[in-house]
Amino acid sequence: MSRLVLKFEGAVLKEVPLGTRPVTIGRAPDNDIPIDNLAVSNYHARVYVEAGSLVVEDLNSLNGSFLNDIRVERAMLKDGDTILVGKHHILVDQINDAAVPVDSWRKAPAPRMNETMVLDTRVRREMLEQAAAAGERSQLSPARIRVPTLTVLRGRTDAKDYRLTGKLTVIGRSNMATVRLRSWFTPNIAAQINKHDDGYYLGRGDIVPKVNGVEIGGLTKLNDGDLIEVGRVRLNFLYRD
Amino acid sequence: MDLYVLSDGMGGEAHGEIASKVAVQTIVDHCRKAENSRATPTFGESHPGVSERTNRLTSAIHLANRVVFETASVNPEQRGMGATIVAAWINGQMLSLAHVGDSRAYLLRAGSLEQLTGDHSLVAEKVRIGILTPQEADASELQSVLTRAVGTNETVEVDSDEQILIIGDALLLCSDGLTRMVTDPEIASTILTSSSAQNAADRLVDLANENGGVDNVSVIVLRFLAKSESLLDRLKIWKRISG
Repeated sequence: MSRLVLKFEGAVLKEVPLGTRPVTIGRAPDNDIPIDNLAVSNYHARVYVEAGSLVVEDLNSLNGSFLNDIRVERAMLKDGDTILVGKHHILVDQINDAAVPVDSWRKAPAPRMNETMVLDTRVRREMLEQAAAAGERSQLSPARIRVPTLTVLRGRTDAKDYRLTGKLTVIGRSNMATVRLRSWFTPNIAAQINKHDDGYYLGRGDIVPKVNGVEIGGLTKLNDGDLIEVGRVRLNFLYRD
Repeated sequence: MDLYVLSDGMGGEAHGEIASKVAVQTIVDHCRKAENSRATPTFGESHPGVSERTNRLTSAIHLANRVVFETASVNPEQRGMGATIVAAWINGQMLSLAHVGDSRAYLLRAGSLEQLTGDHSLVAEKVRIGILTPQEADASELQSVLTRAVGTNETVEVDSDEQILIIGDALLLCSDGLTRMVTDPEIASTILTSSSAQNAADRLVDLANENGGVDNVSVIVLRFLAKSESLLDRLKIWKRISG
């Protein structure tokens, strides 16, 4: 029997058998394959059998549906094809398929393949518009409006609370530090926090800080509530309204 | 002045070279002028989240964009020429970084290599909005399609960033001629096993050519040896046209 296999970064999340009813894909929970990701539209795409062929149809989604890396509005599927929706892959597995009657292809014309898009300036512009729209959406989401802060739990510093406003936050004894450490024998630059598009990252300075009790390797993304230790100073990383 | 600028031209071999030369010269001149006089006018938007120096570097790229664009608009045969830019300005331990296009900056710290810049290319933008995987991007034939370049439009958006450098860090600025041919682990191990910044730069270019490099390869390798600016390891720029 044919099935669709939902994968994310190589891991299988869900398998859905293909029957007579269309299989719907989207962010809304009532889809057959719900995908909880902002890049996915509420009702993003569907897969169904038409005239004996398996078809994927994009439901006017914002970010598009991709069949083997090509954006499609409607396309025929074959065994082994991969549909990309947001960051999720949906694998078409038709290995034991015997459900389709032999003569059904005569009854209706084969589904029309929508022309695949060529990446010209128009597509580039559209893609940038999508990117801009995605950016706007994420800015509207509550997580982005909240301000990242550091609260001092232990140790001598020049303040008890800090709001992270710049791209770079330096923690240390240096007078260029945002979080100035007052204790002796602490380095001028003990640690640094860098703002990236997707959040805040802690990096080492002249010493290696710890996050939740573990020394960091490279740049480490900070999560709400993380406990940072820089030498003897303990800081709590919190997003606040 | 510890300012390092790498640029990769586009729009035909000869014109691309003009674009990158003009851009680099404009950036260096503007930053030098600003060092001597803070009253030097700024170009483009400045960002409150970064230092004055970082904003100055961004301003220099905005000016370079204008100069290249205007040069091209009075010379019809040069129309469409442009260049990528990745620029690093170091003051004490503070690194100011700005870029446009797909030339990159990497930081090698404590053995791990971090890419500090995000490419302004079609495939990279698609990966960022989640409609292409990094593996698909690496395999794509559209890697050369840029979404931003210096000099191709009247204005350009510049990305900037800041980092504190610590002793032992190595900074790499490079064109796509390197990163398409040499993997991140190869880059990291080459720099780690090199005797000097010069040696690392030579070996990276050799490696790109050995791996079948067909594009120009430009790299700048810097090693941060001590807090004193004067002890910054010598940089080396390599540009080679293969074949």
